[in-house]
Amino acid sequence: MKKKFLSMLITATLAFTAVACGSAETEVTDSAEKSVEATNTDNGTDKAATKETSTEPKILKTAASFAYPSLDVHKEYYGWYTQIYGISETLFKMNENVSVVSGLAKDATADGSVWTITLSDGAAFSNGTPLTAEMVIRNLNRVAELNERFAYLADFEMTAVDDKTITINTKEIYPTLKNDLASPELGMIDLDATTDFDNNPICTGPFLIKSFQPEGDVEVVKNESYWGGDVNLDGAVFYYMQEDDPKLLAMQSGEIDCYNSVSSAALAVYNQEPDKYNVVSIPGARLQFYILNENTLDDAVREAINLTVDKDAIAAYLSGTVSAAVGPFNPSAAYGQVTVPSVDTSKAKELLEADGYILNSDGFYEKDGEKLTISIKYYAARSLDTIALLIQEQLKAIGVDSVLGSEEDPDSTYIANSDFDLALYCMIADKAGDPLYFIDSVFKEGSYYDCGGFADVHCNELIEQLRFETDTAKRAELANEIVQIAIDDNAYGFVGLFNNTTVLRPGVTGFAENIPFDFYGIDAETTIE
Amino acid sequence: MIKKLIKRIAGLIFILVILSFLVFLLMYLAPGDPAEKRLTSQGVAVTKQVLDAERERLGLLKPFLVRYAEWLFGVVRGDFGVSFKDDMPVAPKLLQGLKNTSILALSSLIISIVISFTLGIVSAEKKNGIADHIIRVFSFVSNSLPNFLIAVLLMYFLCIRLSLFPVIAKGDFQGLFMPVISLAIPMTGRFVRQMRAEFMAQLSEDYVTGMRGRGVKRRFILFNVIRNSLGHIFTIVALQIGTLMGGSVVIESIFRWPGIGKLVMDSITARDYPVIMGFVVIMGTIYVLINQLSDVLCHKLDPRTRL
Repeated sequence: MKKKFLSMLITATLAFTAVACGSAETEVTDSAEKSVEATNTDNGTDKAATKETSTEPKILKTAASFAYPSLDVHKEYYGWYTQIYGISETLFKMNENVSVVSGLAKDATADGSVWTITLSDGAAFSNGTPLTAEMVIRNLNRVAELNERFAYLADFEMTAVDDKTITINTKEIYPTLKNDLASPELGMIDLDATTDFDNNPICTGPFLIKSFQPEGDVEVVKNESYWGGDVNLDGAVFYYMQEDDPKLLAMQSGEIDCYNSVSSAALAVYNQEPDKYNVVSIPGARLQFYILNENTLDDAVREAINLTVDKDAIAAYLSGTVSAAVGPFNPSAAYGQVTVPSVDTSKAKELLEADGYILNSDGFYEKDGEKLTISIKYYAARSLDTIALLIQEQLKAIGVDSVLGSEEDPDSTYIANSDFDLALYCMIADKAGDPLYFIDSVFKEGSYYDCGGFADVHCNELIEQLRFETDTAKRAELANEIVQIAIDDNAYGFVGLFNNTTVLRPGVTGFAENIPFDFYGIDAETTIE
Repeated sequence: MIKKLIKRIAGLIFILVILSFLVFLLMYLAPGDPAEKRLTSQGVAVTKQVLDAERERLGLLKPFLVRYAEWLFGVVRGDFGVSFKDDMPVAPKLLQGLKNTSILALSSLIISIVISFTLGIVSAEKKNGIADHIIRVFSFVSNSLPNFLIAVLLMYFLCIRLSLFPVIAKGDFQGLFMPVISLAIPMTGRFVRQMRAEFMAQLSEDYVTGMRGRGVKRRFILFNVIRNSLGHIFTIVALQIGTLMGGSVVIESIFRWPGIGKLVMDSITARDYPVIMGFVVIMGTIYVLINQLSDVLCHKLDPRTRL
């Protein structure tokens, strides 16, 4: 009797669980709709209230994926975040077209190795103190001292000609100085008035720090005496939220108004409701690429791999988080004009067969009885693990076997040891609107990421030309030629450019959603209705 | 007594020195370069010259034993050094993280103990009854659910559907509620099973049969059963404290709780050796102290251990 009762109870429990699970999805969907409706109703009420009482402060609430212990603009990468928070500004800045435009400086002209920089009229710190040439020089010297990546600035001779004019003698021709001056780490601080560089630097931006929690939330308020004119927002709050799910839930509950670096899972949710969420996705500056080892793979195999890897299929699989790349740079840039052969698996197979490979009984290519097996190395970040799997599948489809090897730290393993056939990597390819940085780091013989044995004398010559070429159009031409050499040599494969994806509530604009660089956020133009 | 205490402290120091040396050695052997991690943390490549200069500045080019000795002498003087990641002093970072994690861990532990103790007794006493089956199903399900899933489900139901809490909680009592529950649910599941087994073992002992035979009242039997089970239960709880202190990293990330687990995970990713070493010393001390405390309590509570 007891056993019967027990079995009935268990059956009933299981049935109840199954029914509950079955209905759970429906409930979740329904509730999601309801919650969004509720949010919208709330928003609607809020909007109405805002119209009635226009004095309500316009505070933008957003989520930040990173948080740092200091606001010292010149140290580490903290300047990226002080600029995102709208606190600091640089002499020049990047615009939506990946061009350098004026910021705190209105102009920079080069005469040989001497640059003359003129500061913008009225440029001043939030305390009203005008930005002077002497202060700019002191700031640049401070960055050189505190930040190893900018130590080279100490080699330049800097002179304040007058209050608004600086000359910088770079000793040898340095065409990218203007781009370098757009680096967020070179933001200007009032070095005399600032007493707490880590928590409250006095800068020139449209916002001031209201509260700063090291490695936590940041609150800013409008700089009433902003030198650049009116500031639309009254303030903003940056909540430190690392995880994707809470960001999605906070957006759904109406606790935040916008955020960037949207995950593919969240993107799918937002795309289902375009009237509730405005999603802006543009190709960014972060590149996913692979290096083919010329010391372990012959020309035919490398070419076959590049003809097989289908970037469009990979981009489609990654559902909107990346755009298929042609070269390392944004195809809309003048230095992003290169071509790659389209996917052609038949030609890839022909190439392998012409090179002496034959298909064995398992359907894989082999040569002299030795199976062709590609060692693919990757690290599990920036979707490289997914890309490794997809490349493995694509190679398998033409009969090329591969083994995957995952490393936690690529730089001290496969990049340092070159023990790979195909190495996946992700890095910023364009940090300030110029191709030299990436080309010099990856294609130059002996450079940090030239770990696949790519060496081309002509390419090295062109890189040296690029280093000193001052004409922008000519620089683009040289860059395109250099990248094309690397592509034609099948030394690399450029898979995707990470999209800068931002989700905004309707009525929110100007959150740097159209700028392909990671270090911009709110500014004087940012608006919330 | 004093001799015993000195012996135990000496043992603790010996364990910590061996532990710190092994961890320092493992980090030295493991691939990864703090200078490179720091300079390229935003995906920007740097030149070899810049990298070498940073390695020199951080003292990474010194021989292994010199680095370990410098670190050890610093710790003896109470100086845990500065973080490789951001040059901030390590000790305040660790203490702040430890304080936050302790609040989270102890709150969830107390809730778990109270619930699981009650359910464990009921389940053991009503063995194979309806209550026992329901408690066992609860225990099985809650033990099977990963705490990050519980966290997201709680957020969804309590914040979105019921609007009882904000998704973005502050570090106050309200902000503590959901992370504590997320940690407590799976822990309660584990505790209930372990406590039930312990209570059942005690209930099947001869002395319980004897008491029942003599017609001793239920509450006196239970009192004896609980008293005799406490030694084992303390051991179970003591082991869980260590896991909680270092293992709540996911919950800390989801609920934006700035605890030590998240701090250490970030430090491991950044190869921030001074923070990792500081964590090892603190957690090693906590583990050893808790285990010693558990031994002492067992000794006091269970007369059999003194035989």
